Amino acid sequence: MDRRTFLKTAAATGGVLATARLASARAAAAPASAVPERKTKHLVLVAFAGGVRTRETFGTPQNVPTLQALADEGVLYTRARTSNLGHFGAALAIFTGVAEQRGIRENARSNDVTLFEYLRKDLGWGPNDAWIATSGGAQQVNYAYGVHPDYGAAYGANTLDGEGIFNREFKLLLEGWGRPRVWSEAEERQLAALRASLARHAGADMADAGGAQVERFLLEELTRGTSDLTGPNASDAKALRVARNLLTLFRPRVTAVVLQDADTAHGNYGGYVEVVRRNDAALGTLWQAVKQDPQLANSTAIVVVPEFGRDRDLNSRRGLDHGDGSEDLSLVTCTCWGPDFKKNSIVKEEVGVVDVTPTICDLFGAKPRHSRGKRLPGLFA
Amino acid sequence: MFGRVPLLGTFFGVFLGVGDYQEQQAPPEAAIDARSLRALSFDLLGRPPLESEWKRWCSLTRSRLLDELVGSSDFWTQWFEEQLYYLLLVNNFRPQQERLAAVPRDLFEKRLDVREAIHRIALSSSFDQRNPGADTFVTVVMEQLAGLEITKNPRELEIGKRVYDGAPGTFLGAAAQSQADVVRNAIQCRAFASHLLRREHERLTRSKPEAKDLAGWCARLEKDPRCFPEIVRAWIEGPAYAARVARGAPLENRAFVRALYVDLADRLPTFQEAEPMREALDSLADSAPLRSITARLLLDSGKLAPRSRKDLSDAPAWVRTQFLRFFGRAATEPELAEFTRVLGEPEAKLETILYALVSSPEYNRY
Repeated sequence: MDRRTFLKTAAATGGVLATARLASARAAAAPASAVPERKTKHLVLVAFAGGVRTRETFGTPQNVPTLQALADEGVLYTRARTSNLGHFGAALAIFTGVAEQRGIRENARSNDVTLFEYLRKDLGWGPNDAWIATSGGAQQVNYAYGVHPDYGAAYGANTLDGEGIFNREFKLLLEGWGRPRVWSEAEERQLAALRASLARHAGADMADAGGAQVERFLLEELTRGTSDLTGPNASDAKALRVARNLLTLFRPRVTAVVLQDADTAHGNYGGYVEVVRRNDAALGTLWQAVKQDPQLANSTAIVVVPEFGRDRDLNSRRGLDHGDGSEDLSLVTCTCWGPDFKKNSIVKEEVGVVDVTPTICDLFGAKPRHSRGKRLPGLFA
Repeated sequence: MFGRVPLLGTFFGVFLGVGDYQEQQAPPEAAIDARSLRALSFDLLGRPPLESEWKRWCSLTRSRLLDELVGSSDFWTQWFEEQLYYLLLVNNFRPQQERLAAVPRDLFEKRLDVREAIHRIALSSSFDQRNPGADTFVTVVMEQLAGLEITKNPRELEIGKRVYDGAPGTFLGAAAQSQADVVRNAIQCRAFASHLLRREHERLTRSKPEAKDLAGWCARLEKDPRCFPEIVRAWIEGPAYAARVARGAPLENRAFVRALYVDLADRLPTFQEAEPMREALDSLADSAPLRSITARLLLDSGKLAPRSRKDLSDAPAWVRTQFLRFFGRAATEPELAEFTRVLGEPEAKLETILYALVSSPEYNRY
């Protein structure tokens, strides 16, 4: 969309925007004491995208033990309404709180403000506080920030595809020194013995289990990269692993992940189910990393939501498209887990995927001024 | 937590295959301890000793070592680097001009004093580019050179901004009418010496100076601007520094980078080697894991030409020496036993031992 189109759209939606601004102004005027103290300091938002029906997730719990466990310890929204805007537009709606039609191959930044921009601008977060790991594709960099004149790139998220987690400076080092080699089992065993010996002397003062964990992740990335990940969900698995490493290394305030491999369902139902299973397992690894990190364990929330579902019936290729307007397509499940959320709660009231951004903004104390969603009901403990 | 270990011991006779240590006799009570040697080297030179330095310095008394280090060429190089880092003249803003590069040498040759050196830095185009515009420039000059709080001196800031733009005014107590005058007046004001000595004292001793002591040092520096090394030496020989060594202090990323090269390659890194590594580490809130990885990169690169285990004539002695050099303390008996045992395994490599040491949290303090 060019500037002229933007202005036209803005004029057309002026009433809505004005109302939103008024509501924002009222909210801003609320006394500070009304904002509750939150325990959540970090959040992982997984756009379980590519089109994932509830039938293959919570309708078949054995496919998604991680999601089921997250829901058991958190809040499950069974009727989250989506819009069939194409993968790009629908996933973007999760990050902006605005559902807007976009071309399926559109590759441009939105005029809508993303979650990252609200958080970074309102809360003064730095560049390393918001990251988005994508499973690849040129379009996905557009999730990081939009072109709204009051926000934009200066408040965007860092984007990383599944290829690595290291900054430009570190890559220069790699060019000079090469990558570390994979140590033999004997070397690893010897190293562990030596470190244990040093740790016994250092005692609690210098115990550094968390650091060793991050070091392991880094070495894994450097020695193998993500090239060892194969299979139908390879791209998604890379994105989830990058997110896991980002989370434990940088401990950003918000880490988003965008998946996409489930879209293999168009021609391969079995492959689609396998992607769902594998992504759930990779999500489980990420969750474990959170639980094992003392700095993250009690201060991290996880939100998982597909951008939309899929058709009710198989197509002629025994695959699943997305276009029949059925509830399988337009209603998905949204899973929320975290220290400020209720436990083992199921909300059957209809909500929207566009409610995710305002909810996260509310969680951290930012104002989603241009979002059309609202805070998810029944979430906070 | 850490005992003081005199460096003159019989095991040094076999330190890295060099056998002349037993002949270097000095009174045991006068020998500098390993912890102090490591701390002094880091604080005064920004790095641990090279192997040849270690061999020589460990036979010196503390006083004799200070004679060598304080005011040396390396001392001034380190001081200059610390000033650049303090003023954030790093990356693209690092001064490239010959006149700036000559600052450490001119200080060493006593053709420059610390006040003149900082004046030269603040007049550089790098400083100007780093702090563009009247508001930023004057704010930085007031805060970083004179140690003044802007919120408490808004009028001075406004005057300074007008002076920066060419208007006449009285800035920090003296007449001024240009950007250069802003710098000059800040450098010459009374607060400059006080701020410089306070921050340098804090950098070296990690403690705030007493007001009375600070006033005394300021008076000395005002009287003789070239006496800065003497003041530093007094700090190093005082109780505040002794307490800081006893407490230990975290190793800054820039010192860690130099330490890795010195301890693993027995040389200092080039600027091109050190800067990307420092930048990569500085970009992380917690650089400890990445520090370990950088050590692994160096060790696995095959470019360090480390000794082979077969070259060690006395493995326990080698282990003892590494503990002294890397941690500034003796290995405990269990540590010595375990490290020697691992070294005795058929597949053992010195790189494994070195990696365990330099990736230890203990290596990241000094």
